[in-house]
Amino acid sequence: MTTAPDIPRQIEADPIAQRYARGWHCLGLSQDFRDGQPHQVLAFGTKLVVWEDSDGELRVLDAFCRHMGGDLSQGTVKDGNIACPFHDWRWGGDGRCKQIPYSRRVPLRARTSAWPTLDQDGMLFVWNDPQGNPPIAEQAIPKIPGASSDEWTDWHWYSIKIDGSNCREIVDNVVDMAHFFYVHYSMPTYFKNIFEGHVATQVMNGTDRGDVAVPSDDGSTLLAVKSTASYFGPSFMIDDLVYEYDTGNFESILINCHYPVDTDSFVLQYGIIVKKPQGVSDEYASASAATMGDFIKTGFEQDVAIWQNKARIDNPLLCEEDGPVYQLRRWYQQFYTDVDAVLPEMTERFEFELDMTRPAEAWSQEVAENIARAAENESV
Amino acid sequence: MGAPIAPVTVRPDVRLETAPMSPVSCDTCGAAVEARKSSWEQTSIQWHAADVERCLERRAAMPPRIEGTLFAGCVSLRQALAKAVERGDLPVLADD
Repeated sequence: MTTAPDIPRQIEADPIAQRYARGWHCLGLSQDFRDGQPHQVLAFGTKLVVWEDSDGELRVLDAFCRHMGGDLSQGTVKDGNIACPFHDWRWGGDGRCKQIPYSRRVPLRARTSAWPTLDQDGMLFVWNDPQGNPPIAEQAIPKIPGASSDEWTDWHWYSIKIDGSNCREIVDNVVDMAHFFYVHYSMPTYFKNIFEGHVATQVMNGTDRGDVAVPSDDGSTLLAVKSTASYFGPSFMIDDLVYEYDTGNFESILINCHYPVDTDSFVLQYGIIVKKPQGVSDEYASASAATMGDFIKTGFEQDVAIWQNKARIDNPLLCEEDGPVYQLRRWYQQFYTDVDAVLPEMTERFEFELDMTRPAEAWSQEVAENIARAAENESV
Repeated sequence: MGAPIAPVTVRPDVRLETAPMSPVSCDTCGAAVEARKSSWEQTSIQWHAADVERCLERRAAMPPRIEGTLFAGCVSLRQALAKAVERGDLPVLADD
């Protein structure tokens, strides 16, 4: 057996392409854009304006007026169109200039970029495609049954802008089994990834750690956490998340989504709905969604601290107990590649099931030590 | 479309340098995949489009074009992988 030369491994990172992923991106809760005002959204390296037109449709245009470059997001909504604050040019949601009050007629080719939108399950999405093609039908965002049901709570929603980090970092979470213990206070017991087409899935089961308080209903015991989370396209993940307590199941849907502001910052958003338990008031159910959301928030905040200080790394050094980082990035690459240049290996089915024996041993021991230390401190 | 398309490069998993994937065929449908076992419990499976089409369990479980349905994996293929290990065609790294 030959030994590898004993030289330090170098971190490699190619320059980040000035290109944003093709696909649906959630901008937030629809209701937050429905106040009759124009809303500014910094995304995809540019500025967008979002408003509600006279038909109640949410519309998204490039914010910069094609006349003299005025910022439409600083304008006003007039007759369902967006009016530029600079010279009052009126732009329709279809991207066409409808009227210039001080001019007899609108010039030829008075058209700006209108972004395809999807308003579904209380969330607003825009379709980004550097090639300018319409949305791909097969990549539609699946409907979430609970989101339109009275048996579930409304969205409890969080939004945070993250500077100094590229959005690939959060997508890496799909495969990063071990960080769920260290950063998110989880205790994974089962972990599997499946990538196929435009969908990347993580199946993760976990259990109560014992050394970190997990939100629970009035002292009930957490038996297991079961999560099936899929990215549908580059940025929108639906997580079917069930907390199993000795007193019953706590069913929730967690959304984890983001959109790039530029190549070095992004807006992370996540939201949760909870199935209302039997015999419980709506207020109580909403409060439990908030409690769960705040617990998840802690994990994401710790993610952010890691991302903002880490190096971008294209050649991670992996042990066997790490997830399929390279295969995930291969899958993710399809969204940064022209449609006709996507390689088969980027979309072909790949499965990875992790052996949790060694991580479980190591983490049980670490948790036991944490509990013992805490008990010691208490008795002092 | 204007700007030239940058050459698409995909980096291979560093772990494959010393322990690559091995070809395995399913006894039931003949689907040919590449597999790798880090241990008895840890398996990677790389499918190719034509072999996904061939898989009978997949066909039964998942009518094409239903969004959001997850096919967790093929039980027959799992058995074929186990047999490949027994035959010595599929190494298990943890046993080395």
